[in-house]
Amino acid sequence: MSAQRPAAGRGATRRAAPVAAKPARRGPSLASQVHSWLDSHRASLRDSLGRLIQQPFGSFFTCLVMGIALCLPMGLALLLDNVERLGGTWQHATRISVFLDLSVSDAEGQALRDDIARLPQVREAQWIGREQALLDFQAVSGLAEALRELPDNPLPGGVLVTPASVDKAELEALRQQLADLPGVELAQLDLLWVERLGAILALGDRFLFGVSVLLVLTLLLVIGNTIRLHIENRRQEIEVIKLVGGTDGYVRRPFLYLGALYGLGAGLLAWAVLAFGLAWLNASVLRLSGLYGSDFGLTGVPLADGLYLVLGALLLGYVGAWLAVARHLRELAPR
Amino acid sequence: MIRFDQVGKRYANGHVGLHELSFQVEAGEFLFITGHSGAGKSTLLRLLLAMERPTSGKVLLAGQDLSTITTAEIPFLRRQIGVVFQNHQLLFDRSVFDNVALPLRIQGLSREEVAQRVDAALRRVSLRDRAEDFPNDLSTGQQQRVGIARAVVHQPALLLADEPTGNLDPRLAAEIMNVFEDINALGTTVLVASHDLALIARMRHRMLTLQRGRLIGDGAAE
Repeated sequence: MSAQRPAAGRGATRRAAPVAAKPARRGPSLASQVHSWLDSHRASLRDSLGRLIQQPFGSFFTCLVMGIALCLPMGLALLLDNVERLGGTWQHATRISVFLDLSVSDAEGQALRDDIARLPQVREAQWIGREQALLDFQAVSGLAEALRELPDNPLPGGVLVTPASVDKAELEALRQQLADLPGVELAQLDLLWVERLGAILALGDRFLFGVSVLLVLTLLLVIGNTIRLHIENRRQEIEVIKLVGGTDGYVRRPFLYLGALYGLGAGLLAWAVLAFGLAWLNASVLRLSGLYGSDFGLTGVPLADGLYLVLGALLLGYVGAWLAVARHLRELAPR
Repeated sequence: MIRFDQVGKRYANGHVGLHELSFQVEAGEFLFITGHSGAGKSTLLRLLLAMERPTSGKVLLAGQDLSTITTAEIPFLRRQIGVVFQNHQLLFDRSVFDNVALPLRIQGLSREEVAQRVDAALRRVSLRDRAEDFPNDLSTGQQQRVGIARAVVHQPALLLADEPTGNLDPRLAAEIMNVFEDINALGTTVLVASHDLALIARMRHRMLTLQRGRLIGDGAAE
């Protein structure tokens, strides 16, 4: 290229070629466009991954902060699940005592037990005859001598029913159904402790929801701030891209990948922390439950829950990035 | 190609960027816009890039009214325009090839076509052998030529240059102007905003002279 060129013949009018005279360019084919679109996404993903790797400590700690924030609601949810599981074990000990009329014979009582056992809501039904009831009462009451003096056995026969469900409404419906059976004098169910446990678990669920909402907002703020810093660092690049015809979607893409990658990292870290934390806690829980003659132990993070956690974190990262980019792009670049 | 029809631009702080400016540019023309700092040269270019809208009048580019253009249409308008900045606005963390390829990738061209066009654009500015280098490895003049290659790689109908030789010595400035002439020779309309009157005079093209947002001269540079 030479700096000295002949000036002759430089008139604009001589060489001016109208735009229409330029050869018409055919647009790229659909296949080529799809290919380019995929290429562009691959490039954005590679670029975002590269930026995370370029700052390993910064990226790791951002993911860790987000991961710990995710651990809190997820850990609480897992703990509540375990308490519910424990409560469920207790609830299965819930029984309905069905007292029969004194006029009901042993044979009729046995037949009634069989009828009750066939009900789908019943897990188990145990017949206790009048004689057996008296013997049991003598054994536990300390009134054996006095009871022996009675002319007749005052105790009715009964059926001890173990329900299949632990739902309060279903238990009450079953109790009512049993009370309505012919020959039944009384069907009794103690629901108070079930209600108390249910109330505690409901409180826990509500608390968990509140904590989850707060931490989701925190995560969105963390990711939003992180993406904002990335946008600030790439201000010039964004301006250039917009000036050469980049759409908002094109500008947004690498930041969305960045947010999703942060989320993915946070989700994986949270899963790892929870799995480790529960395993660590489980040793103490096993020792404690062993003292009560139980083999109850904490379950770890189920695979499905872990995958939901990672997916949720990834989506949170994506949404956080989207909000941050939408908020800051207009301020930064020409329209 | 370009028509300014009684175009006025007043900023929110009351400053008047352009005052009832009217002129027309034919397709394929080479035009200088000159004037002192604050004369309205950059405002004029910003209106053509739809970075700003006129407060009065009409700006027409290839028949399209830029005063009513929608936000969604702007990127597609800019794909028809090449822009060269005084400070070349290169991305220093990307190679020369990647800088020049940017407009083509944005437009979704295939890898093969990108490679082919970038090669042609770099050949046009005599930097074909520097494709893998990074902008920091190049001289100021070479960096500006990379900026020009990026501005023309997508074969725009219109090339805008805002003080493209502002940071260059006279020899490099002349080199850059020669590149613009070559591009213009292929039919691209070229608008160069510059206050380097000596350089403009040597080029002997049409020149618009602005002063405080008003057009005070329109004719061949002498």
